[in-house]
Amino acid sequence: MLRRIGVAAAFLLAALLPASAHHGWGSYDAGKMVTVEGKIVTTRYENPHVTLTVEAQDKTWTLTLAPVSRMRNRGATEELVAPGKVITAVGYVSTRDPDELRAERITVDGKTIEMR
Amino acid sequence: MALEAPAILVALEQSALGTAIRQSVWIYPAANTVHILGLTLLAASVAVMDLRLLGAFKETVPAAVIVPARRLAMLALTIMVLTGLVLFTAEATHVAMNPVFQIKMGLIGLAILNALVVQRTLPAVLIKSPAMTPLPTRFRIAAAISLAIWFCVAAAGRLIAYF
Repeated sequence: MLRRIGVAAAFLLAALLPASAHHGWGSYDAGKMVTVEGKIVTTRYENPHVTLTVEAQDKTWTLTLAPVSRMRNRGATEELVAPGKVITAVGYVSTRDPDELRAERITVDGKTIEMR
Repeated sequence: MALEAPAILVALEQSALGTAIRQSVWIYPAANTVHILGLTLLAASVAVMDLRLLGAFKETVPAAVIVPARRLAMLALTIMVLTGLVLFTAEATHVAMNPVFQIKMGLIGLAILNALVVQRTLPAVLIKSPAMTPLPTRFRIAAAISLAIWFCVAAAGRLIAYF
């Protein structure tokens, strides 16, 4: 009885693990790297993810960056991504919101910082 | 685009509390971590409780396993609700409109309902249930349902971030 439940549970876990191995790219188009460059308009330096709005040539983007603690640890302080700064972000576009970019790395003031 | 969230959720998210949770470096990750610690405790205690109902550990007296496991499960559920409220407040509008979150809440409701129904008649049965004797079928069915629902609740919780 217990063994059968154990086997069933192991199968279920195995089926779920690939999806949760890391905070995945499910709702982002991981097949296409997109670069967004522009001026930061607003900064929300908040958990669970820091978000910026950036005025690029084509449109206003919403950039999703890392959690606050990681941003700080890597030197991406609130001052570095303050409104008015020029930012270059490379990342993947949301499959649900064509104006949202999930940044893999950002470059501000000549500093390039990884977000993952 | 998603439907608009009810005004009360907008107010909750934009409240001083919601802002404080988001702006703190540690509150959100701490709530997130304790939420998962609560999950491990809940999953463990629910598994022990439900497996005993199903007939595992049959050398033990059912009440000696089920009663303390149930108490632990309720403590774990309390931890999860409290930390869950912190996580929810930070992103109330997004989360509430998330289909997987809605499924998760529905499943939790079902799991609690199942537990309440079981609890109406189980204590009287447990008092006279010795070791090595299967419990009535209706409790074993309820235990299997409980295990399945809580498994799905955990899976849904993890999947909120992907939908």
